[in-house]
Parts: sequence; C-alpha cells; structure tokens
Amino acid sequence: MTAPASVPAPAATAKAAASASATPPPRPAGRWKPWLAFGVIALITAVTLSPQLGIAFSLDAIARNWQNGAAKIVQLLQPDWSFFPRTIPPMLETLEMAVIATAVSTLIALPLSLWAARLINPHRVGRGIVRVILNIVRAVPELLYAAILVAMVGVGALPGILALVLFNVGIIVKLVSEAIESNDAGPLEAARAAGGTQAQINRAVALPDVWPSFVNQVLYVLELNVRSGTVLGLVGAGGIGLLIDAVRTYFRYDQLSVIILEVLVVVILLELVSSAIRKRLV
Amino acid sequence: MTQHTAEVGAVASASAPWAIRMRDVSVRYPNGVVALKSISMDIEPGEMVSVVGLSGSGKSSLIRTINGLVPITSGQLTVGGHNLGEAKGRELRRLRGEIGMIFQGFNLAGRTSVLNNVLVGRLAHTSTWRTLLGVHTAADKQIAFDALERVGILAKAWDRASSLSGGQQQRVAIARALSQEPHLVLADEPVASLDPPTAHAVMRDLRRINTELGITVLTNLHLVDLAREYGTRLIGLRAGEVVYDGSVDDASDAVFEEIYGRSIRAEDVLDR
Repeated sequence: MTAPASVPAPAATAKAAASASATPPPRPAGRWKPWLAFGVIALITAVTLSPQLGIAFSLDAIARNWQNGAAKIVQLLQPDWSFFPRTIPPMLETLEMAVIATAVSTLIALPLSLWAARLINPHRVGRGIVRVILNIVRAVPELLYAAILVAMVGVGALPGILALVLFNVGIIVKLVSEAIESNDAGPLEAARAAGGTQAQINRAVALPDVWPSFVNQVLYVLELNVRSGTVLGLVGAGGIGLLIDAVRTYFRYDQLSVIILEVLVVVILLELVSSAIRKRLV
Repeated sequence: MTQHTAEVGAVASASAPWAIRMRDVSVRYPNGVVALKSISMDIEPGEMVSVVGLSGSGKSSLIRTINGLVPITSGQLTVGGHNLGEAKGRELRRLRGEIGMIFQGFNLAGRTSVLNNVLVGRLAHTSTWRTLLGVHTAADKQIAFDALERVGILAKAWDRASSLSGGQQQRVAIARALSQEPHLVLADEPVASLDPPTAHAVMRDLRRINTELGITVLTNLHLVDLAREYGTRLIGLRAGEVVYDGSVDDASDAVFEEIYGRSIRAEDVLDR
C-alpha cells in the first residue's frame, strides 16, 4: 500500500516547483470600480442626510415622541378580539379582489407574453411596442393606479381590481416572455419545419415549455395581490384597506392590531400553499 | 442487402415520394457568409442520399434550404414539382407539412408528452383553432400512435419527452416526421449526439423509412462509415460547392479525402 502511495509524490512536487516559478498573467484593469461605486453611494447618503439639501432627517422626533409611540404600541399589544367578526367581510373582499385580478390578468397576459417574446415572435416592431408599454405600466405603483381609478370609476372593489390587473399584466408578461426567450429555439424550429403557423407553434411547442414558469409567476402575482390589496382601500379602492383607514382615523390601534394579525395569517397561509404548489411544478 | 429486399416486399403505405431539383441555387446569409455556391443537382424520388462534408461545408444550409428554413438567394428549387424557392406564407407551410425533418438535437418540447411532440407533425394538417384548444382528432392521434409503433416506442407515448434517453428522443423525432406522412425526409446530423449502437439503430430506422415506405431520404453525416453503410448515393460538399456526386460504392477513401480536403482521421469514423 505504501509503495504506490509514494509514487505520485515526486510528480506533485515537480508541479509545485513549476507553478512557483510561473509568472501569472496581468490582472485585469478596473479593480477600482467597486470602490468608486461605494464612494458614490456614501456621498449620496451624506447629501440626503444634510439639513439643507436632503430630507432633513433627524432622530429627534423619536426622542421627542417616544411616549406617544409607546402608548400606541401598548394599544397594539392589546388586540380587541370582539372586533374580529367585523373584519371578515372586508378581508374576504380583499381576497376576492386578488383572485379576480389574478384570473383576469392571467387571461390577458398569456397571449401577450407569447407575443412579446422575441424567440417566438419575429415581428420586431410589435414586440418593441409591447415592451415599451409594459415598462411604462410597470413603472407606476399600483396605489397610484388605484387613486386615479377611484376618481374615474368611483369608490369600491372595481378600481382596486383594475389597478391590480394593470400591475399584474406588466409583471407576468415581462417575466414570462423572458422565460420564453431563454428557452431552447430547437423545438420551435422543428414545429416551423413541420409547417405550423406562428400561433400553432406558440401553443403546441412554446407553451408547454414555459407553463411551469407561467404558473409560478401567476402564484407570485396572487401573493402580491393579497398583500397590496390590503392597502388599496386606503385610497378608497375596496377591501380591508377601507377598514384600516377607518380604525386608524379613530385611533383604534387595538382594532388595527386585529387586522394586522389577520393579514399576517392570510399572507403566510397563502405563501405556504403556493410554495407547496410550486414544488410540484418544474 | 437481402434483408432490404425482404422489407421492400412488406411495403405498408405509399405516399408518392418527391424529387428535389436544384438549379444554380445559391444561399447568402444576411451577415454576408455565402453558404451555398450555385448548386445544381437532381435527387430522384425514393433515393437514400448521404450528404457529407466537414462542419461549415454548407451541408446543414443545403438541407435547411430544401424545406425553406433557409431562403435561397438565387437559383431555382423545386421539390416534388412545387416551386419551393418562391413559396411563401400558406403555400410554404403546406409544402413544409409534406417534408419531414430530423435534427441533431432532437428538438422535442421536453416538458410535454411524447404523443404531443409527435402530434406537432400534424400541425400543417390541423386548423389553428384546434391546435389552440389542444383538441386533436382521433385520426391524427391514430397516425401519431402508428408512427410511434413504427419506431418501436409506442409504450412511451404518455411519458414526458425529456424523461427519454437520447436514442429514444431521436426516435420520437422520427415519429414526429413520419406523422406528417411525408414525401421527403431530411435529417440534419441525426446521430451526431448519440453513442455508436444507438446511432446505428437510428440510421436503420431512417433506412427503413426509405425502403419500407419508399420515402426519399436525405441525411447529413460527417462520419465516413455511416455515409457508406446507409446511403445509396453520396453527395460531398466543400465550401458550399458539390465536389462529389455519385454512388457510395464508388466512394473510396480517396474520394472522402477529396471531399474533406485532408486525410481521413479516426474521428471521421463511428466504429473504430
């Protein structure tokens, strides 16, 4: 046993000797770049903290109002459980809004995703137009959509749903069309060689391959919708947010804490369910 | 060879095979690369042709030209009497529907079933709304099952395509081409990604398509022994030009050295 083990040793030392005298290739330039980035970020932070140029941020407020804050926390820690039954209908409304918005945006996003993906869609101009519109749609926060839509169609669940749909379509189409583009072009070519139309190729070959990532995005969007659906009511767009706004106005932090806990439970449950579904995908 | 004649006797179906006629066909890609230089050739109905050449010789472009995946820049190309060189849109799709194609990388949609992949071969014969709804006719499904049976993997019909081995995937791809009920089958390096025994099995499948169904088969190969064993006619390409066109029986090592522009090496043969 010992004899064969000792055999490679000379070779190893020879190798080590060779690497000791080897001159390494010159290191690539530009190693200062991370430091520059760090410096720029530090500078921007300093500027925003300064009273003249920035947002006049100071820790005084916390010191001055700590008693006030402590009182709120004490109230929050004593949830008014008798309020719970009244929170159920608006919470259900939020969930309904989230589900409806997800379903509608899925129906809209599916054909749009296929259309927006480059590999699948040879029309350069149409694709560019879809991309620009989606980027604009995605850049606006859903709360802002809701605020504008409440003014347009009135207070209630409808503006909330519309706001969520707008936001969802932007997210799903972007992520799914990127997933399509990263897919293998071979199967699409095979379907083209078999004489399929673009629509047929998309449906028969592209869709099965992106289906898991599509379902994945839809679940993600459903989670987002429940979360942002809770605050849309603050601008009058339906759901539990309306109730949050009401109890907040009357400083009923004991009732607010019931709502917060409820939202927490719902979001965690939803995450558990959707991650269980996701595991079965791929 | 005796086995061949026995199989010819048991001819199952006969969609009339197509001829390929090329007159001064040139292909220049948008980036300026000239892939085919003024190629003229006639491939008769029912021939089994091996196209050989080094990578970059234009053999892949040649085979893609024949079903319009690569448009010709100049010249005339008729396939089965149809002017494929000038076909566009619906007419081009109809012609493609009659021509089966097999790829080096199998090109299956991995996440869907073997059956769905084979049914891709029926696209040109299916209305768009049917495809969009994912509803296939019983007749189409029967054609797909028959095609799978012919390549011996009917049992895998409901499996996910990606769960199959390379050889099985290439058989599914052959079944996909067969379900088109083609008049012509093009194969672009069909066995380059397979191990030697599987490569021979797939090449035998292609030969059976030719002998049993009488379909014209054009196969791109870079391996000398496969080209000799499975073709009846050999076309050699070098730098986009035909440098040899004749019977495989006359294709000596010297001929291959002429086509490749260098001596035959170990990597040019499958069975060493």
